[in-house]
Amino acid sequence: MAASGFEEVEHTADWALRAQGASLEELLENAARGMLSLIGAKPGEGEATTWRLEIQGADAESLLVAWLDELLYRMETQRVTFGGMRIHVGPDQRLAAEIEERPLLRVGHPIKAVTYHNLAVEKTREGLTATVVFDV
Amino acid sequence: MVRKQDLRRISPVLWEIPVSFRDDMRVPVRVYADEKLLEAALDDRSIEQAVNASTLPGLVGQVLVMPDVHQGYGFPIGGVAATRLPDGVISPGGIGYDINCGVRLMASSLRAEEAEPHLRDLAQALYANCPSGVGVKGSVPLTLKELDQVCRLGSEWALKNGYAQAEDLPRTEEGGRIQGADPDAVSSRAKERGRPQLGTLGAGNHFIEVDLVEKIYHPEAASVLGLAEGGLALQIHCGSRGFGHQVCSDYVREFQGAVQRYAIRLPDRELVCAPLNSPEGKRYLAAMACAANYAFANRQILAHHARRSFEQVFAGRLKGWPLRQVYDIAHNMGKIEDHAVGGQEMRVCVHRKGATRAFGPGFEGLPPDLRPLGQPVLVPGSMGTASWVLLGTEGSMAQSFGSTCHGAGRVMSRHAAKRAVRGDQLRRDLEARGIHIQAGSLPSLAEEAPQAYKEVDAVVDIVTQAGIAQKVARLKPVVVIKG
Repeated sequence: MAASGFEEVEHTADWALRAQGASLEELLENAARGMLSLIGAKPGEGEATTWRLEIQGADAESLLVAWLDELLYRMETQRVTFGGMRIHVGPDQRLAAEIEERPLLRVGHPIKAVTYHNLAVEKTREGLTATVVFDV
Repeated sequence: MVRKQDLRRISPVLWEIPVSFRDDMRVPVRVYADEKLLEAALDDRSIEQAVNASTLPGLVGQVLVMPDVHQGYGFPIGGVAATRLPDGVISPGGIGYDINCGVRLMASSLRAEEAEPHLRDLAQALYANCPSGVGVKGSVPLTLKELDQVCRLGSEWALKNGYAQAEDLPRTEEGGRIQGADPDAVSSRAKERGRPQLGTLGAGNHFIEVDLVEKIYHPEAASVLGLAEGGLALQIHCGSRGFGHQVCSDYVREFQGAVQRYAIRLPDRELVCAPLNSPEGKRYLAAMACAANYAFANRQILAHHARRSFEQVFAGRLKGWPLRQVYDIAHNMGKIEDHAVGGQEMRVCVHRKGATRAFGPGFEGLPPDLRPLGQPVLVPGSMGTASWVLLGTEGSMAQSFGSTCHGAGRVMSRHAAKRAVRGDQLRRDLEARGIHIQAGSLPSLAEEAPQAYKEVDAVVDIVTQAGIAQKVARLKPVVVIKG
């Protein structure tokens, strides 16, 4: 695994990304950064603002999909991309995050959706890992 | 992992994995392929994904795998699965995120050779008039009320608003309008994504292509469809944009809970489903119909822009430029249909994900002139290679729930394609072969390089040999527009 905490995994038609983190929060952040890297999101001119997000998942996998879905939706409808993130996951997979966002200049390759395909957040010696498949 | 020795060969182009292969299979899996295409399919996880799909409750017949199969998520791309009504299930992931992704073919009476000096201008006009890529500039922005009408009416909305000709609708699958659409089953989030995107092509593997009708294989059908050897035609490949993607995402998420409520055990969470007669299943069908109608309207508006482009370039210079609709088909869809299964007529929900409906002669849903022939099937190739016009057959009705292939099918990942091919070099190579390219992004162009796909001719040979389609015409690209 690269120092970035994410790497692309070969997939015939779509895109797959393996992310890891010492904690669920770090895994979520690395998965988000990996997704933004695949999309090739470039920030434009304009002031950074803070977006506060609260969501809940039924389990760690659902939370991971919901989190990435929220970012995609926000990016498409508000034309923004994301910088620094402060994520906290409390009991019952309840996530609260503060995310720095900037106007979006351009996207290299859009992602249609985040899938649950073979998705499992697994424990490793280093923490947690998961492979997410995106429909492109 | 599925190995070649796990499959039983039924014919030179058909293989079967019996239900005994895995304890949780409910029906066999049948794969349309020759040895070469089968080995290619076994190289990734597509056949394993078809085995996973064969565990869905209420399946009948077999899960079918088309020769253009490739690895997807949940279901493979190129999969067909039918579940019985009322208690079988519907699986949003078995239809796909791009609900009613499909292809429209239009034909002119222009001769390709006389149009040739104008093709560069035509490429530029199509690129300028047909909004493509990530943005939404040039779309038909909708109020929420108008979006609800698009959801209910599909191509009929486009006709009412000046984007269609009356003759287009009978030449569209389901007349361009799926019944049972209920905008209340669609989230506000999906509506927010869909409102500004109608009439746009998007990016990825979607395209507009101008083609030369290179060879006719079925003169009678070609004549009825308005295709003549040496003529100029146009294809549009796109779907329901962010609207459909969000509908699918919403229901895949919602059905994570439904499978627990209905005690359905699955090998992959992307296969989540709900009984067709459950409130959840009915709501998804109503939402899916909205996205399908959005996609029909979307392709119809792009067809209108394509017509404007032909007029701008050819009017006053050449005759015969107006584009007539040949047909429009969906290749990501779930449909409630009647089929004979084991000699018994039954109502089923046919999931086609990367597969095309291919109803045979006599189907009442076809306009009278097409009814004796069977339903037209449009099979786009990879960029720079041929595309095919086929017809559904009695064989497709008997064997494959009236379904056949949908394209070439990938063999190389997008990443590998970008490593192997440079977008600028690819554009030069294609232009040297007389294909004019307009693309928003060179790396994205490289991802769709012909080398990344199977040979479409080989795919079409398998389905025709198997008797689940017959050839009408082969098309060759002369202009490609990509987002």
